[in-house]
Amino acid sequence: MTAIPLVFALLAAGIWLSALAERFASGRRFPSGTVFAPLLQAARLLSQQSVRTEHPDGLNWVLSPIAYLTLAVAGLSVVPFAPELAVAPLDTGIVLWGACEALTIVAVFLHGWSANSMLPLIGGYRFVAIGLPAMLLSMFVLIAAALPAQSLSVGAIVESQRSLWNVVRQPLGLPLFLLLGLAISLRGPMDYGDAADLSGGTAAEVSGPHRLAWGIARLAMLTAFAAMGASVFLGGYLGPWLPGPVWLALKTAALLLVLTWLGRNLARMPAPRMMAALWLVLLPLSFLDLVIAGVEALP
Amino acid sequence: MTLTAVLIVAAALIGIGLYGALSQQSFVMLMMGLELILNGVLLAVIAFWSLGAGGPPRGQVLAIVVMAVMAVEMAVGFALVTAVFRRRQADTTEKLGTLKE
Amino acid sequence: MTAADLAFYVLSAVAVVSGWRVFRTDSMVRASFLLMLSFIAVAAIMLMLAAPYIGMATVFMMAVEMMVMALFMVMFMMNPAGLNPMSMVHQNRLSIGAAATAFVGLTVAVLFTDLPHEKVARQAPVIRDLGHELLGPSMLVFESAGVTLLAAMVASVVLSARSGRFGPSDEGSRPPGLEPGGEPAGRVPESEQEDE
Repeated sequence: MTAIPLVFALLAAGIWLSALAERFASGRRFPSGTVFAPLLQAARLLSQQSVRTEHPDGLNWVLSPIAYLTLAVAGLSVVPFAPELAVAPLDTGIVLWGACEALTIVAVFLHGWSANSMLPLIGGYRFVAIGLPAMLLSMFVLIAAALPAQSLSVGAIVESQRSLWNVVRQPLGLPLFLLLGLAISLRGPMDYGDAADLSGGTAAEVSGPHRLAWGIARLAMLTAFAAMGASVFLGGYLGPWLPGPVWLALKTAALLLVLTWLGRNLARMPAPRMMAALWLVLLPLSFLDLVIAGVEALP
Repeated sequence: MTLTAVLIVAAALIGIGLYGALSQQSFVMLMMGLELILNGVLLAVIAFWSLGAGGPPRGQVLAIVVMAVMAVEMAVGFALVTAVFRRRQADTTEKLGTLKE
Repeated sequence: MTAADLAFYVLSAVAVVSGWRVFRTDSMVRASFLLMLSFIAVAAIMLMLAAPYIGMATVFMMAVEMMVMALFMVMFMMNPAGLNPMSMVHQNRLSIGAAATAFVGLTVAVLFTDLPHEKVARQAPVIRDLGHELLGPSMLVFESAGVTLLAAMVASVVLSARSGRFGPSDEGSRPPGLEPGGEPAGRVPESEQEDE
């Protein structure tokens, strides 16, 4: 069971790296002590007062950040660090990840709903409208990646990329999948839940330790997503010279930086137009991806 | 975990679902009752497949059919609720006393 | 009692109790997510029953379905927030009786039936079996389910589209007034907007 410490190490490193990258991308100064800036920010949030709204749904108010973080860890548990080295090397890894995606949307909605306040509720609704189609198309993309592996297990998908990575074999896959990553970690062009135009959306009313937990959960989901994307499309632990976990960590870090860059540099569309784009353009594109994978899989 | 125990749990779910489907006035709550019945049915199917019949592949196909039934029930149900609400502003079963236009 | 038995009893308690609370809570959002909890508990039991694909797929499907359900609940219910206590039931006694009869009847049937007890083999490749069955001997069943789902999609679009086949589907319908005989609540029908 060496995989469990590896999962938490990867999560911690990913959260720290993405917090730093976020800081760098936001154009703030980057003096020598900045490496510890996320820790300082966390300490500041921990010591802040926690504000409560009037009549929140107490259970979901507390539970939604925990659920969000748990789903990130559960999603990461099917990612293999080396052949046969995963916390849960399930035959149905992809389906478990899909279930985590779907439950993430529920967790974010409940976070917005439980605050009993207007802006978080609007954020929650808007996120559901965008998140559901985004999740749908990510499942088609993942099934396309599972096709050459002839298995729903993430380990088998990684092994099927020994000759050629899926990012080359199915060029549409990774870009479409990244879209979901932006959606479920609530950032940039897909941030309809926690956006600034709703003064923080579902997180508009949270402060102190709660805000810290929510922020950590968001970054953890980003890390889990990057590790999943690296495994399914970039060959996961495969690579010369270095051991498997190192390769996975490097590819995860690369995807994290790409996601942070995309989140900072892509403009966000209005929600209705984004919804039309998702259903009318991107979902058919994911079908096309499935067709390409199917044609390639023909003997 | 015996087949009998799992089937009794499934029976409890079917019973609660039946209560919901019969007693709720709101369409959407009524559909939740139907969903709960199907939940019990799905559990019973899988229990028979796993603990009774020795895992023939067809048992899982039956479970897939139950899941398809759930999806159809939800999709057509919500469409009907929307259509009835548009037409008659009705959101409870009592407001649909007649079948005529 | 083994750990598996204990897990089974806890999960079935969660499934049954949350299923019962669905009809006892005032808040619509809570009701739909309680139903989701019931489904997730049943899915976990199915995982223990060596049906990993069906179990996971149930969680996936129900998370999406109950999310949509919650939205519809809020759209179509009065008092969606559940801030006021309310009871929207009819024929309550009959329903309780029917439910109890169904439960007792099914339980008696289960207890007095000579059930087969052949367990699925521990290392059986159930997911591979399912795939080969679906795309092999049971292809017709699978395709029928697929075509039925397609028909359901077409039907739901036809039913719920506002621009119906014979003109706007909400023509002539008027929301109930805020007070008796007063101005209609909510959206004014488009046909009346044009008159103003």
